[in-house]
Amino acid sequence: MEIFLQILFSGCAIGMIYAVIAFGYQLTFATSGTLNFGQGEALALGALMGLSIVGHVPYWAMIPFALVFGALYGIVVERIGVRPAMKVKSEGWIMATIALGIIMKNVAENIWGKEDVKFPSPVPEIPMQAFGVNILPMELLVIGGALAMMLAIEVFNRKSIYGKAVVATASDAGAAGLMGVNTGQVITFSYALSCATAAFAGILIAPLTLAGAGMGGSLGLKAFAVAIIGGLTSGIGAIVGGLLLGVSETATGYYISTGYKDVPGLVLLLLVLAIKPAGLFGKTAIKKV
Amino acid sequence: MSFKLKATIAAIAVTFSLGAGAQGKDPIKVGLSGPYTGGSSPMGISMRDAIRLAVSEINAAGGVLGRPLQLVERDDEAKNELGAQITQELIHKEKIVAGLGVINTGVILASSRYYQEAKIPLITPGPTGSVVTKQFMPPEFTENYIFRVSLPDSIQAEMIAQEAVDNRKFKKLAILADSSNYGQLGREDMTKALEKRNVKPVTVEKFNVKDVDMTPQLLRAKSAGAEAVLTYGVGPELAQIANGMARLGWKVPIIGSHTLSMPNFIETAGANAEGAVFPQTFVNDGTPKRTKFIDTYKKTYNVPRIPGQGWAAPGYDTVYLLAAAIKQAGSTDGAKIREALENLNTKVEGLLMTYDRPFTKDNHELFKDSSKAVMATIRNGEVVKVSGK
Repeated sequence: MEIFLQILFSGCAIGMIYAVIAFGYQLTFATSGTLNFGQGEALALGALMGLSIVGHVPYWAMIPFALVFGALYGIVVERIGVRPAMKVKSEGWIMATIALGIIMKNVAENIWGKEDVKFPSPVPEIPMQAFGVNILPMELLVIGGALAMMLAIEVFNRKSIYGKAVVATASDAGAAGLMGVNTGQVITFSYALSCATAAFAGILIAPLTLAGAGMGGSLGLKAFAVAIIGGLTSGIGAIVGGLLLGVSETATGYYISTGYKDVPGLVLLLLVLAIKPAGLFGKTAIKKV
Repeated sequence: MSFKLKATIAAIAVTFSLGAGAQGKDPIKVGLSGPYTGGSSPMGISMRDAIRLAVSEINAAGGVLGRPLQLVERDDEAKNELGAQITQELIHKEKIVAGLGVINTGVILASSRYYQEAKIPLITPGPTGSVVTKQFMPPEFTENYIFRVSLPDSIQAEMIAQEAVDNRKFKKLAILADSSNYGQLGREDMTKALEKRNVKPVTVEKFNVKDVDMTPQLLRAKSAGAEAVLTYGVGPELAQIANGMARLGWKVPIIGSHTLSMPNFIETAGANAEGAVFPQTFVNDGTPKRTKFIDTYKKTYNVPRIPGQGWAAPGYDTVYLLAAAIKQAGSTDGAKIREALENLNTKVEGLLMTYDRPFTKDNHELFKDSSKAVMATIRNGEVVKVSGK
């Protein structure tokens, strides 16, 4: 029983990491129908930037810097990679965001080196005991931080006038434009927000993993799978998808074999794509002709 | 950054001192390749810096055959195909007379063919794969140009099994190995070494490079009742194992291959790295020669400790072995240097040992068994010999 709980908890901790990155994919998809495939790199850049700043100020004071840096990076991605492609209605943003990601990864390697380095933990690194399960304080912080981030964005979207512009653009960009919403700006804003969440995810998980230019690669990919499983239009979907993937990975690793750890998540992805392509919680888009 | 900067300045200083010692004579060009960037770089850089030290010492003492040694350095980034490429460049464009360096087994397997074809000897202090020196062995080949001073995996696995089963009397052992060539070949060697002692591991677990969570693997090992964890992987993931064990509150010894001495393991795992046990060919035992080497290294490169001393010391020795061979051959002809290496008739004072006929025509391994290696552990962040032996 204790082992089962431990697996469940570890799975949830890693699942929430996936969820918060997947949430970043959703933000831009909702407003523009495009994705930043360099989301993993945005996460790594955020973590490395945070690492450089954390030498001078405490961890908590560094968070706003990382968020601002992430937002600026998002604006650059949107202006250079996405907007030109959207203007001519091409799918060029796919390659452009991937290319920007690779470029940023190389830049990061040259600035911070290719070595993965330890990120100082803001909370004690001694595990706590609860129900026979060992929990690191940092893991609780990851779960709490991820949920708080998503909640904050939801509240912003529902309560503020700017948030309503985002929601309006997401549901019907054309109509929103006619109503006087500057949809171009909303899309830029959603990219800024998306990359800021990625940077935030980076500084959240770096104390648990390691910080390095390559840290975002496989995380970004898995989070993409989560976004597909949960549905690209549903915030709840990102959380459920993340937890599903996280728990299935750890459970398969323990009960079947660690060699097959990544298999069930990907099988789930294939199943979802075959049966409900919009994702478990996604709205099925009706294409009118 | 500042360390890199200082290292660069030191490197430039060494290069200049090389130039000063040239005295108008043609330098002897020696190739030096290894991973100076990427995950293997702590090993590669320590090796390179130690080799630079040895070269500047030899040149300050008048060089070899009255000519200074000149290093031609290339970064292979631990990539097999890049290693093969720069080997050809070193041999055909730079016209090196001999090669030193290489850390990764995959890289040397991809590049050794070119040394063999060009009849240029290579002395390597890094790779541990068992086949490294066996590719061009007589009788199929008349001459073999690959020499090694590092500890092969088969011997390391044997030492790990000896420590776990014979010394500590453990019967239930878990093997954790990464999914790379290095990890999986090491796992095979380790399973064989345990089999010889009639011990079957209670569980064999695999993990990927860059994995961030080792909980399932460790839980499996824990619930199988393992008394110790045997590891075959590299620094960052080994640190995840040590940290993961601390997280689960599971305290059993970690015994594994020499990569447990990698600085990125020691630094990332911090207190959790303490007490891990692994084979080493070089530890600071307080003898004057070793202490002097460590002090000079620290002073030259302005570092608090040698990042990877288990790669620095053998690297340093390869230069002296090569110099002795060139001296004995009286020539820089590759075939003659190889012959001299196989029949070294002078004793070479090295850091690992006093080299007395280290190689023969049929044996290009410095380490034939575990007698010249020791088990080491980590105490206060330093690699030290296991006490009491």
